[in-house]
This record gives sequence, structure tokens and C-alpha cells, in this order.
Amino acid sequence: MNTNMAVCIAVIAKENYPLYIRSVPTQNELKFHYTVHTSLDVVEEKISAVGKALGDQRELYLGLLYPTEDYKMFRKLHNSFTDVMCNPFHNPGDTIQSKAFDGIVSGMMVQTA
Amino acid sequence: MAQCVQSVQEFVQDSFVPMVAVLCSEEAERVTRKNNLNFAELLRPFCRLTSEGHIRDPSNQLQVVKNLRICVNNLVTSPTTTSTSLSPAQRQLLSDVVSSCQPQESAVTNVVMAGDYELNFSVTTPWFEAYRENFLQSMPASDHEFLNHYLACLLVVSSTEAVPVEQFLKLSQEQHRIQHSGEYTNPKWFIPNTLKYYVLLHDMCEGDEQRADVVYEDMKQKYGSQGCYLLKMNSRTFSANVDEQIPDPWSQYLHKNNLHNQFPHNPCTSNEMSSSLEGHPLQLDSSMANLHNLSAVHTDLKKGAKDSNSPACAAGSHGACLTLNDHDYIRQFIQEFTFRGLLPHIEKTIRQLNDQLVSRKGLSRSLFTATKKWFGGGKAPEKSISEPKSTCGLLYPPEAPELQIRKMADLCLLVQHYDLAYSCYHTAKKDFLSDQAMLYAAGALEMAAVSAFLQGGASRPYPAHYMDTAIQTYRDVCKNMVLAERCALLSAEILKSQGKYSEAATLLIKMTSEDSDLRSALLLEQAAHCFINMRNPMVRKFAFHMILSGHRFSKAGQRRHALRCYCQAMQVYKERGWSLAEDHINFTIGRQSFTLRQPEEAVTAFRQILINDSRQTAKQQGAFLREYLYVYKSVLGGNEVSLPQLPLPCIHSSATRVYFGHERRLAEGEKQAATHVSLDQEFDQDLSAMWCHLEEQLVASANGGVVPVNFQPTQCCLNSQTDNLRHPLAVVEEPIIVEVTFRNPLKVSLALSSLSLLWRFTVDGSSSSKEMTEETITNEETSAVGVGNMNKYALRNCDLFSPFRNHMDFLLFTDQQTLDLMVRGKQDLNILGPRLNLTKEDKMSVRHGPDRRLNPIITAPMPLMEVFFLQFPTALLCGEIRKAYVEFCNVSGVALCGLRVVSTHAAFFTFGSQATTPLSPTSAENCSPYKTVATPLQRASEATESLVSADDFRQPSGVIEIPIDGSILQPGQSTQLPLWLRGPDQEGVHEINFLFYYESAEKGLKISHRVLRHTVFICASRSLSIQASACRSSVPPHHCLDEKGSSGTLVFIDVENINTNEGGVREFHIVQVSSSSQHWRLHKYINPNKDKECKLGSRERAKLCFRATRCKPSEATSKAVEKYTFSDLSMGNEQIISSTTPCGDFFFRSSSRISSVSKSQGSVPTENRSSDLTDIAKECSELDLNIIVIWKAYVVEDNKQLILEGQLHVALQTIGKEATSLTAKEVPQEMVLLKFKSDLPPPVILPSAEFCQLIKTNLHYPETCTHPFVQESLCLVPVTLTLSNCSLAQVDVIIDLRHKSSSPESLEVHSSFAWVGQSQYKLQLKPKEVLCLTLQACFLQAGVYNLNTPRVFAKPSEQSIMCETSQQTATPALIVISNA
Repeated sequence: MNTNMAVCIAVIAKENYPLYIRSVPTQNELKFHYTVHTSLDVVEEKISAVGKALGDQRELYLGLLYPTEDYKMFRKLHNSFTDVMCNPFHNPGDTIQSKAFDGIVSGMMVQTA
Repeated sequence: MAQCVQSVQEFVQDSFVPMVAVLCSEEAERVTRKNNLNFAELLRPFCRLTSEGHIRDPSNQLQVVKNLRICVNNLVTSPTTTSTSLSPAQRQLLSDVVSSCQPQESAVTNVVMAGDYELNFSVTTPWFEAYRENFLQSMPASDHEFLNHYLACLLVVSSTEAVPVEQFLKLSQEQHRIQHSGEYTNPKWFIPNTLKYYVLLHDMCEGDEQRADVVYEDMKQKYGSQGCYLLKMNSRTFSANVDEQIPDPWSQYLHKNNLHNQFPHNPCTSNEMSSSLEGHPLQLDSSMANLHNLSAVHTDLKKGAKDSNSPACAAGSHGACLTLNDHDYIRQFIQEFTFRGLLPHIEKTIRQLNDQLVSRKGLSRSLFTATKKWFGGGKAPEKSISEPKSTCGLLYPPEAPELQIRKMADLCLLVQHYDLAYSCYHTAKKDFLSDQAMLYAAGALEMAAVSAFLQGGASRPYPAHYMDTAIQTYRDVCKNMVLAERCALLSAEILKSQGKYSEAATLLIKMTSEDSDLRSALLLEQAAHCFINMRNPMVRKFAFHMILSGHRFSKAGQRRHALRCYCQAMQVYKERGWSLAEDHINFTIGRQSFTLRQPEEAVTAFRQILINDSRQTAKQQGAFLREYLYVYKSVLGGNEVSLPQLPLPCIHSSATRVYFGHERRLAEGEKQAATHVSLDQEFDQDLSAMWCHLEEQLVASANGGVVPVNFQPTQCCLNSQTDNLRHPLAVVEEPIIVEVTFRNPLKVSLALSSLSLLWRFTVDGSSSSKEMTEETITNEETSAVGVGNMNKYALRNCDLFSPFRNHMDFLLFTDQQTLDLMVRGKQDLNILGPRLNLTKEDKMSVRHGPDRRLNPIITAPMPLMEVFFLQFPTALLCGEIRKAYVEFCNVSGVALCGLRVVSTHAAFFTFGSQATTPLSPTSAENCSPYKTVATPLQRASEATESLVSADDFRQPSGVIEIPIDGSILQPGQSTQLPLWLRGPDQEGVHEINFLFYYESAEKGLKISHRVLRHTVFICASRSLSIQASACRSSVPPHHCLDEKGSSGTLVFIDVENINTNEGGVREFHIVQVSSSSQHWRLHKYINPNKDKECKLGSRERAKLCFRATRCKPSEATSKAVEKYTFSDLSMGNEQIISSTTPCGDFFFRSSSRISSVSKSQGSVPTENRSSDLTDIAKECSELDLNIIVIWKAYVVEDNKQLILEGQLHVALQTIGKEATSLTAKEVPQEMVLLKFKSDLPPPVILPSAEFCQLIKTNLHYPETCTHPFVQESLCLVPVTLTLSNCSLAQVDVIIDLRHKSSSPESLEVHSSFAWVGQSQYKLQLKPKEVLCLTLQACFLQAGVYNLNTPRVFAKPSEQSIMCETSQQTATPALIVISNA
């Protein structure tokens, strides 16, 4: 049984464009895109708060944006994202097109079937 | 929240003002109506008091009232009860107010930079302020508060009335009836004892002023001087001073009504209005039964609307009868009324209320002890419990004592005594809360917060939670959205003023609900503004809420506002990869724009969806496309002149290819046209360089060996890789073909039809550049661009007619079609040049160079030549000679000349050296390509010779001038020339490129020349392999009759049939062997078995032996002209004259000859410097004899025997060295192992082999000798040793006859015979000298002896240091000595 149940997972570049975005109930994709985009403001707020508080920015997990987050999930996703970035053929800034990453994300998604 | 015109204090303060009702007599109404205004409207601009008023509070403190505004309304009665929501009519009004207030085009927009976002939007939202103002004004009066209850009533009577006092009485009774009869609930009154103020209106133009004064005096008597007023107005006559400019202060108060007026469906009657409302999307219930409960404000507005509609007065001309003095009178009147009438009245009321409250026990306690707990005491609601009717809890009767404190608080608030107001509200709040009268409590909380805010200063912090509680209570408990909204509007504005944008936004967002789209839209928009105004602007939240707002606006029917919201949000989402969101916004913008009749914008928006790399599904894309096409079509309408741009399909503009000239005819009958350049060929850098090189050669040859500085290679087909910096030159009346590459990025297919190319032609030279856009393009068939694939279309342009310089810009016409929708549009064809990367600026930014592919210059007519080939083979044997024909046609109207050709394989073809009359190919069929003469049999083994100058054949630098008659080809003329081809020496497939060059007979044209390309592929298969070697013959020179010198050389030719195709080629016959050299010639064919032709089957081999002799010196030494001696040795009965075409041509062209030429040329200077040793030696052994072997091959093809002929060349350069026909057969060099140790030093210089050939020796002796050894023991035989100097230098020769004593075995043999006489000679031989020495050999017994023992050493005379070299020993010279 999969405990990580996300409906939408997105990786956003720091210039605010999506590197990767996927959501499971595909009929509601537009809504999720809007939500993700709008939540960037919250992320930005958190980042600026963290920046002030800590000199060491090694902790990339920003904490809960909303009470249904899971740290493990972030770790998993982040590791996979690191793998994608380590791919010498990947051009940083391009959208992510990776089967492995897709697989990780699919595992986190709500099983609709 | 957006910025407002008013300050917050002003806004809040103005939201709560004393209300004054107006009751007019009909006559007074008529007087004011002259100004196109009713009385309330007349007063409105002057309702703000500029001077300070004063009021005494209950503790007798003087309170200053500043900047007070009063609200004057006509008294309108309506029977209905209050409602908790706005009536449909009110909603309609608000909706109209909002929709009529649109941002101006020139409205100030500010640019917000947030992160990397740059947003451009208007900071003010006047529609919101208009909505708010109207909303607050249209608030229905509620029982739980008194703020918009009427405090006073103005009774207005005109002085023209017969008995004004009576009218006053009537009006007063009317007011009393309205207030107290209980008939009307709607105009609510503050206190039972309403202030009545009597106003006598005097029209200066009509009535008697004195009478008015009299009446006024009367009134003063009756009502007291503080309760009445004489207002004089209408001083100006209608017609007088029309041009006098009087400021119109009414316009800003009434202009909204006028705008309202401009709506085509302006409701003039209630029936009309209802019908108009039915069509309004906002209104769900179109039942307009309760039209009568229009609020006072609304009625006013409506009246204004009605009046301005009346044709007598033009809209906007308010106060036409009023002078500036009249304005002052009105202002004075208001001031008088307020300060003398209203304020004292309020002051009195406050006192009364205060006294009542103080008298009530326990109240004073609650007033003055602030320590009382909120809910403490458990005070039961014992008093006057009326049935709690509603969810709001308790409802008090109007005169309930609990309400008195609230009433007092409201009064204090109205006269700006906020301190007292706050404490009253606070007390009231506690009372209401303890009574669980939630509506009242919420009202008290709200107003407590307001008064606390208005109090200002640091005395009390603003209690934001009061507001929150109030809103929550209004909304959730009382279900009164109107009040909740008012509270939220106030609270948000206050929070905004305190910089608490986040809280304001939360508040506003909470207030959105399903019941009113308009309110939700406006509040969401304000929330969005809050987000962007935060210290760290939240751009994305701004955008998102703008979208939500836009959505609600569109639901509310406010299309313009919706469009504006979406457009503002678009700025955030644009070009950041949020394609789904972007598509959604674009789609909405497109739809809204279209319904707002802004189809251009709609088209632009839809275009964006299609251009973007869409992530939508195919179905969605199809829908988008359909919508786009529909909108596009409607935009286009009948306007066919200027076609708009189509977004699809994408043109891959850099892949555009432009082809100048006609499309090639590939073949015409059996004629095969020159391949030239076609669009089917892909561009190849190497090929292009090769053609350019060939063209350079041609141009150089045409210009006397020099390439002009401005030479540019001809480019027929331009693409992205060609040099497009120059304007290409196109010839008038020749077509230009443009190939365009399309891509369909969608997942649905597009059908294109009727594609045509648009162009513009600019005449250069004439002062006004004439531009004509003409459609002269042939159409393509309808074709569908499939899903996601690339299609290429070649669009053919027709001829151009004017021979002037001009520029062309190409556009593309396309019709797009999807199912039933078909639109017509164009796409620009703009080609961006290559990116520049030279300067720093270039590198820093993205700059592109020019690309002039599509801007050709049209030049004067040029000749155009077509070349056809006849009987041109595709396969040849190596060395095979074939005759073909080539036809040159001038298809233009201009004569051409200077025909030349150059090829990558110069040895492949020849046009012949002599002017030969071209035979028609049919008559020459089956004829040998060679020219033959019958040979007399008896001379079969003897060579025929001919001497030919090389210049007759030589063409400089590989360029061949084509010998056509008269060297000019007239228009329409064509000429046919024979062409001989020789199969390449290498087997395999050869790509052979020809470049034909021609120029116009006229000189000085823009295009200096034209070229035509031709590429053929020849498959060469193996025929014969020839190996030749030469060695000195040992025949003494004098044996040959015609031999003068010492040089007799034997030439051996090995011929092998290496053709592997046994079925095809039966056998090869060697027909003739010819030689060609400057110094040597083949002299004789030494045939062991005569009369037998040399035939070679597959894999057979034969060896032929010839004798070569030196040419006659007279021939050889004539160096001025390089002359070649050709000698032919025919083996059959026909002789082929090898010195003529084609044999001679190919000989001179063959690569083997070229190499020998370079060799011989290299050795020429050394002849003079004979001191160089090696050269002498080389010279001596040099042969430089070219052998031409002519063969016939019997080939069976399709059961038909064919005879193919051919020739192979071998260049024999040195004696003893083998040469083969496969000259260029270069075995790839074997890999050499890497050696780390250096090689051993080469052994001491051995006399090189070359020096072994200096002297040729021959021994002449009787072959047998019979000697009677019995009689005589010694047998002496004379032997002649002939020495011939082969070199051109003097040679010292030493001849040693002594036997070598080295080997014991030779001793044994040699002991039997000895040389007698002089045994060592030292001689000097002049160049080419032949010398004979007579020697004596002495034999002791019979036997067979080898006489070849003399050792000959030679060295060039000048060379003193070097030791003599042993000369080549000849073959054994055997002598038989027999005993007699």
C-alpha cells in the first residue's frame, strides 16, 4: 500500500516556470497548475524567511506549506531530482523528461485506477 | 486593495452622515425643475460644509464639527419591509454603475516590478469606488441601527404659491403622516420628534420679491428664525447670457446617471426596465413585482435620468437658471440649516438621550465603569422580551430602552464625537451581547470599531477583531450579506490604510460567495490588489485572484472587466511555461474580446494558443482551432484586401529554398538533359565547393587565366547554407521557385488549399518606387498537413516582366480549412540571417545578419542554354572508348557564346581536336569510334609513324572550349557535337561532373556568365591489365639497319584479361599497340608465331615483345615545339591512326601521360648541368615511352554481339622498371609498426643501380669453333667487345679481362680459357659513342665456355672522386669449342 498520496507534483525552476508538472486526475489539470503557480508566492515567502533566519541553507525542505505534506516524500523527490540534474546530458533549465523521475512521481501519486 | 481617491478617514466618515429628507410642494418642484434638477439634487453639491460647526456634548464640552457632510434626499415612501439582501433593481443599478465605469484608455498605469515580473496595470479602480459609494447609499435602512434614518425634513414651498403658509402646513402634516401613521415602514426616522425646517423658495424671475419677504417674515414669526429660511434663486433668465460660463457642480454627482442614460436599454418606464432586465444574465428572477421598493437614492437617480431624457433640456445643462450668486445662496442656506437647525437639534437630542440614560439605573455604571466583564454577571434578558423572531436572536421594539444608547452613539458618530460614540457603542455592544441580540451586537461592534478608528491618534488601537466578529455575525448568524459586505468594505479599507494587506485580502476573499457574482468579482479584484501591494508583492497570488475575479466578472456579465482582469493576469503567466494556464487565459481573453466586438484582440489571443507548444489534448486543440477559425472568419468578413496573418502552419522560414530558373526537363525522347541543379538535391558543402572550384577555372579561362576580383560563384538554388548576403540575381522572364517548409505543431491535421505566393516588385531608378502586389502564382493542389509532420511545397512563381532592379518580398497566401470552416490569410516569409558572432555586441545579444534569399534583383535577359546528351552510356569497361553526342540548345532570346566546359575527370571525355563535321548519330551507328585505315599485310610488323605537336591536343588548365560553328549560338539554335568518352581506368562507380559555361554575346551585363551543371555516374568494369617493362637489347647496333645510335631496347608487354564477367565479355583482342614519346618509338613487333592475332579469354594472359628505338635526332632535338612521335604497330589488318582523335586526345588527357610529362619537364634543366651525377645516370636509363594498347572486346548482350573498343596507356619511364596500366592503383599504405629504436645506419653508399646502366656491352664472336687440339693445343678465337655509351656525358671506362680469383669454382672453369693480349683497358667514351675492342680468347680444350667474363667499370669523366662502377653484366655468352 502506498502511503504517499499526492495529486499533483511539480518541480519549478527559480525563474518560475515549470520544469516538471504532473497531476493525476487529469481532467483537473488546469486547476492544479493554477494552484501550484499561486503557491509559489508562499514558497517565496518561506524562502525569504529561511534566508533571514539561517546562514546555512543546506536544509532545502521548507516545511509545511499546507498540513498534508510529507517530508519523506520530499526527500524521495529531491533525490530523484538530484539524479536528473546529475545527468550530464540534461541541460539545467530544460523541462524534465526522465523515465526514472516519472516513475518516482507516479509512485507518489494517488492511484486512480 | 487598490488606491482610492478619497482618504480612508474621509471615506469612513462620509459613509455615515446625517440624513435629511425633503418634501416639496408641487410649485416648488416646478421652480427647481427649471434647472433640470429636483430640490435634493439642487442641494447636493453644496452638502459639504466648508466652515466648522460646534456642538456641546452632554458634559457641556464644546465639540468641533469639521468638514461635515449631510445627505439630502427626496422623501419617497415604499411599503415593503427591509430585506437582508439587495433587491434585483438595486443589483441592476450596481451592475450598471460598475459596467459604466471603465478604465480610460489613457488611465495612468503603473509598473510594478516584482522579482523578474514586470506588471503593468492601473492602480486605481474607480469602478470599485463607484460600486462602493452606490452600495453604501443604497443600503436599506435597518432597525438595529439609526445611521441612515432621517434626522430632519426640509419642507419646501415656493413663494409663488397662493398661500405658502398653508402649503407648509400641508407638507408638515404629510411628513407627520408618513412618519407616524405606520403606513410606511421604509423611510425610517431617527426620533419621533423629527426636525422640520421650513424653506421658502423664491424664483427671482417670476415672483414678487417683496411678497416673498413678507411671507418669510410671517414664517419667522410662526416657526422661529432658526426653523425657516428664504432661498432666493433662479436669478438668471433662460435666454440671457447663454455664453456665460457657469461651473456645473452637479455634473460630478449626476454624471453616472447620464452614463446610465446612454445605455440603449435605459429604463424609462418600469415595464421597459423589466423587459431589459429579463435579458440580463445576472438576474435570475426576472419577476419585477416589487418595483416599488426602490430606494430613495435609486428613485433620485431615476428621476435624474428621466429628466435628462426630456427633450427640452439637453443633458448636462444643470442649473441653467442659477448664477454664481445663487450658488452662494444655496451654500449659505445649507450652512444656516446645519448650524442653526440641524446641529442644535442633534445636540438637544443627545442631551435628552443622555438624560434618559443617566436616569436609568445601572446605565451610568455601565457607562463609566469599563471594568465590567464581557459576559459576566449572567444578566438575564429580563426586559421586554419580545419573541426572538429570527436567527439573529432577539429583536427589540423600536422604542426599547436598549436601543436608546445605540441611538445616542449613532448621533455622536454623526457629529464626529467619536470618543463618546465609542464608549456608547461599547456599552451597547455588551448589553446586546448579554441579551444574545446578535444583529444588534454586530452592529454595535462594527460601529465601535469605526468610531475607534475615526478617533485617531494613539488613544485607542483599532480593534480589528471587532470587525471580524461583526462580519462573521452578520454573515453567519444573521445571514445578512448586505451588512456583512458593508462591514467588510469598511474593515478592508481601514486595514489597507494600516498596511495590513494580507488581512485585508483574507477578509475580502472570505466575503466572496455564490450569491453575488458582481460583489465576489470586485472583492477578489481588490484582494488581488492587496497581494500586489504587499511589502513583498505576491505576484502569483495577484494573478490567480485576478483570474478568479475575471471569472466572476464574466459570470456577472461584466465582460469588459472580466477581459481586463484576465489581461492583467496574463502578464504573470505569459511565456513562463505554464502553458495550460496560459491557454486557458488566452482562450477566455479571446472569447471575451470576441463578444465585446474586439475581434482583432480575439484573434491575437487565439493565435497565441495555437502558436504555443500546446500541451492540450488533440480534442481540445481541435476545439481551439475551430474557435479560432470561426473568430478569424468573422474578423475577415468581406475584407479581402488586407489579409491578416495566419498562425498555422508554422513556416520553417530558414529552410526556405529559392530556385532560380526553369525546372529541368529530365529527358526528351532519347535525349538526356543535363542534370543541372534541382530542388530534389540536398545541399552538400563539398559538392558546392567543387562546383565553385570548377566555375573558377572556367571564369579564369574565359578571362585570360585570371579570376576577376568580383567573381562570385553562380548559385541557382539558395538555402540556409548558401551565401545569402548578396541580392541574388534573377533573369527577367525566368521563373523563381520558392520552396517553403511547413510544420503543423498541432495534434489535429490542417488542410491547406490554394496556396499562392505574394510578391512585391519595386522598380529601381524611377523616382517613385512603384509597388504592385499581384497574385500571379500557380496554385498547389489541396493538401493536408498531417499531424506533427513537416511538409514541403514548392511554389512556382510566374515570369517577371521588368528588367529593372527591384526587390521582392514574398508572402504566402494560404487557405486553412478544418472540416467546414475555411479561412483565408497570409503568412509573412521573413528569413532571419545567420546569427552574428563577430563583435562583442553580437556575442552579448542575439543579432542576425541579413538574408537576401527572397530579395532578388531582376536583370536583363540572359541566354539560357540547355544541354542534351545522346547515346550516353552508363557503364563502360575500363579504358573503353565510346562515341556519344552532345547537343547544345539556346532556348532564350539572346545569343550566347564563349561555350566552355570543365570536368572533374578531364580524361573522361573529349570533343576531338580537329574540326570534325558532326555526323548524325544514327548514321554512325555500330561504327568504331576510331578512325581506321587498311594496312598492307606485308608491313604488319613494322611501325608506321607520325609526328604530332602536343599543342594540338593540349588544353590549358583542363578547361575545354567547345568548338561550335561560329562560336556563337543564336537564339533558338541548337548544335550537335560528337563526344568521345573513355571509361575510367579505375573500376567502380565514378561520379563525373561537368560544368558548362556560356556568356551572353552582349557584353557588360550584370550577370557576366551562366553555368550549367551536369553530373553522370559511370560504372566502370575491369577490362585488361597491362604491365610493361623494358630492357636493353643485346643485339649489336650495327645489326639494325636504320639504327644509328646504341639504343636498342626491348619492350615486353604483359596483357592480362582481368574481366570477371565471363558471360558478358567473351574475349579481348589486342588490335594495335602504339607508342608515343618525344625520344623513343616502338619499332618492331617481335612475334614468335606470326599471323596469329592475340586473343585473350577470361583470365588469360599474353606477353608481347617489341623493339623500341630512339627517334631520329632531328625530330627529337627540335625542342622549341614539344613534338611527340606516334608509332602504330597494328596486329590486325586495320590500322588505327593513334595520333588523331580520339586516341591521341585520350592519350594526352590520360593521367599516366601527365605524370610522365611532369617527369620529363623536371629533367630538362639537368641536361645542361650534366655535372649532376644522378641525373646523368637517370638520363641514361630513362626511357619515357608511352605505350597505347588498343583492344577490342567481344561482348554479348541480349543475345547480340557487340564489339567494344578501348585503349589503355602505360608509361614506361625507366629501363628495368615495370609499369602497369593501373597507374593510380595505390595500395593503401600498410601500417608501419612504431619503432622506438632508430634504424641501423644505412650501409656505406653502394654505387646505386643507376650507374650500372652507363655502358652497354656486347660480345661478338663465332658461336661455334672447331679446332684440332691434337695438332695445336691452343685455340685462339677473336672476340669483339662493343661498348656503347648510353649517357649523354663523357664516361671513363676500365675494362678488366682478368678472371676473378675470388671463387675457387670459377677458377676451375676459367682455368680452361684465358684472355690473351692486353688484359686491361682504360678508355674514354664520348656521349653516345660506340667503341669496338678486339680481344683474343685462348682455349685449351674443347667444351662450352662462357665468354662473358670481362668486367667493365665506368664512371662519368668529370666525376673524379667516385670510383668506377661495375657495369651490368650481360647474359652468359656461350661459345662451343669442338675438337676437330
